[in-house]
Amino acid sequence: MQDLYKKLKKQFSLGELTEQRDDLAFITIEKDKLRPLLTHLRDVEGYSHLVLLTAVDWLEEGIFQLTYLISNRTAAKDIGLRVMISRDKATMESIHDIWPTAATYQRELREMFGIDFPDSPRVNDDFILEGWNNIPPYRRDFDTLKYSTENFAQRPGRETKDPAEHMKQQLYPDGAE
Amino acid sequence: MSIKDLFSPFTAWKYVLKDPVTIPDPLNDRPGSARYRGFHKNDNETCIGCGTCETICQNGAIDMLPVNEAETKEGDSGLRPRIDYGRCCWCALCVDVCMTGSLTMSNEYKWVESDPDAFRFTPGIDKKFWDNTELGYQRPDDHRLMAPERIAMGEMEAEDRINSFTEIVDGYSIEQAKLEADRCVSCGICIATCPTHMSIPDYIEAVRDGDYERGLKLLYETNPFSNVCGRVCTRKCEDSCASRHEGEPIAIRWLKRHIIDQVPFEKYREIIGESEPSTGKKIAIIGAGPAGLTTAFDLVRKGHDVTVYEAKAAAGGMTRYGIPEYRLPYDALDKDIELIVSLGVKIVYNTRIGADISMQKLQDDFDAVLLAIGLQEGRQTRIPQSEHEKVYRAVDLLDKITAGENFDLPHCAVVIGGGNVAMDIARSLARLQKQQYGQVDVIVTAMEEQQHFMADPDEIKESLEEGIVIRDQCGPQGCEIDQSGKLIGLKTWKVLSIFDKDHRFSPQYDDSDEVIHACDTVIEAIGQFSDTSLLGNKLTEQLEWDRGRIKIAYDGQTSVDWLWSAGDCVSGPDVVHAVADGHRVANSIHSYLTV
Repeated sequence: MQDLYKKLKKQFSLGELTEQRDDLAFITIEKDKLRPLLTHLRDVEGYSHLVLLTAVDWLEEGIFQLTYLISNRTAAKDIGLRVMISRDKATMESIHDIWPTAATYQRELREMFGIDFPDSPRVNDDFILEGWNNIPPYRRDFDTLKYSTENFAQRPGRETKDPAEHMKQQLYPDGAE
Repeated sequence: MSIKDLFSPFTAWKYVLKDPVTIPDPLNDRPGSARYRGFHKNDNETCIGCGTCETICQNGAIDMLPVNEAETKEGDSGLRPRIDYGRCCWCALCVDVCMTGSLTMSNEYKWVESDPDAFRFTPGIDKKFWDNTELGYQRPDDHRLMAPERIAMGEMEAEDRINSFTEIVDGYSIEQAKLEADRCVSCGICIATCPTHMSIPDYIEAVRDGDYERGLKLLYETNPFSNVCGRVCTRKCEDSCASRHEGEPIAIRWLKRHIIDQVPFEKYREIIGESEPSTGKKIAIIGAGPAGLTTAFDLVRKGHDVTVYEAKAAAGGMTRYGIPEYRLPYDALDKDIELIVSLGVKIVYNTRIGADISMQKLQDDFDAVLLAIGLQEGRQTRIPQSEHEKVYRAVDLLDKITAGENFDLPHCAVVIGGGNVAMDIARSLARLQKQQYGQVDVIVTAMEEQQHFMADPDEIKESLEEGIVIRDQCGPQGCEIDQSGKLIGLKTWKVLSIFDKDHRFSPQYDDSDEVIHACDTVIEAIGQFSDTSLLGNKLTEQLEWDRGRIKIAYDGQTSVDWLWSAGDCVSGPDVVHAVADGHRVANSIHSYLTV
């Protein structure tokens, strides 16, 4: 993967390389470098398959990380391209014209993170959360626990104990040692 | 129908001899990947039941429940996480936050049951077929949700501090304290270990919120010696801290001190609140140390009339006359005492019970009496020639240093003992030597190996930094005196073992490995005892005793119904233990007087 990285670096401005495994590496790139690099990897380096497109919410930094995972099936190697975009009014250029399947991922990200991909087919249609009435649920400021407590019943038979209170009852019930 | 449709079924035959692309037995031949987040595993031996997994779970899928396989004890709640797979989404936050690393995931992902309740289970306790699976998600070593290292405490360098008795430790800044408080997961396991059960997670939360007045109120609910304990507490709580398993424990003591440092003393009274109306009951307390004054604090707040008799010229007991100023500045101690006095507790100084006032008179004049006289007398080694006038007890010298009394400052001192008192006297003498003679010459000898010294490891480290010499495994055999009668050294033999197989004190020496530690003064710091002669013969005979100590019930009451005892003289030396004793005794006296 190092070799490919060095080779690409001559042609593109690349950020940091993270080698996860021998057959999986990640490269961080600027937002506007994505399209030329994806096209190059697909057409010249044999990374013809878009495995997935996903996002990470770096809430504290005010950033969404998009990861475009692409695969070279002949060489059995995967590369993830990481793009950091602003979390505020998050928008990213669509790549459905490079890989039509991207439209589905982009529609999912629109629904789950609220990231817009203008001109991506059906991007604003409901995906799996029909009738969702809250902030996008994969955003880290979405309070999952509160939502699940309010919307989903517990199975009967649930009970729990507070560690400190339980220790008091077991070890010093009178309040003294 | 086209020609193609007619022939297409037959084209399938061309695949008959090719390898299939499908997996023959997908249910059995497809293990999850190495880091797959499959079914949970929990190592019951390492789990401490802190409940952090339950707290972080975003689906409310985890309950903490007692199990037969885990005992509730210091540092372990005895609870274990039970997971409801009807709610779990396998996000692995519980694994990522786990304070001991006991909770992990297997790479197993197939589990079939007909009973839906079977999917609510306690990993590690309810045996599962994936329990011994090696693959699966574990938190990577460098991936930590909580910072493993504590925020370093600033302190004076050895060369700067050795010249004076100025406090060594800086205390946290607001920023540092918030960062340190952020490391706490608020599990509350520490509360049971604290003798006075301070609400530690709550006051740490107050630090996080910057609400110091709430913090101070929480401190005073359980500990009127918070100034003292914020500096010199033995902090057993930190040994039970969940953070210590995969990092350093939270600096609980320093966070307590931080709260104290942030609230102006003028506000204390208002924050602590008013006492209850007067009951007319009178209580006498002998000894104005932490145990006596904690009892006084509680009783005066319940409306009783409390008089404390103190033999010395100032209050605080060992916290004043034992602990050196560089560890506990007098103005910090004075704040704790001043607050207690401001509530209406009367302290009668320079008054020794047994000499100035008899126990009989206290019994006659008061409704209840508490004996909290501490451990004021130093134990002696009774080795040959140790009755020499230049052989001192550490507590006596520490007392003189506090009181500002003159004594012959040794040019070269040898201390016997490896506990905190030994370090206190060694470091105090080192400071005085530096001030008066310009150089430090103090040797600490102890029977134990250095790593087994009773002293706080920080004390040993700082002593060495200050130029004190530590010689371990040295058993004292006698003092060396020259022909003119001058003390010239301490003779020791190398210690081979201290206890016999029944754990009884029975030191074995190598007498061929003899060392004479040259010195002009020997100081014994091998423990203290209580002088109970103040009780008088009649009361001494009336009382029940337990191996030299007054026998007390759980609540501190002696076998004589008007007399209680608390603190070091019955529980052994420890400030926070004395505070806990004080509360317990105050409760007991209060219910005795109000029934």
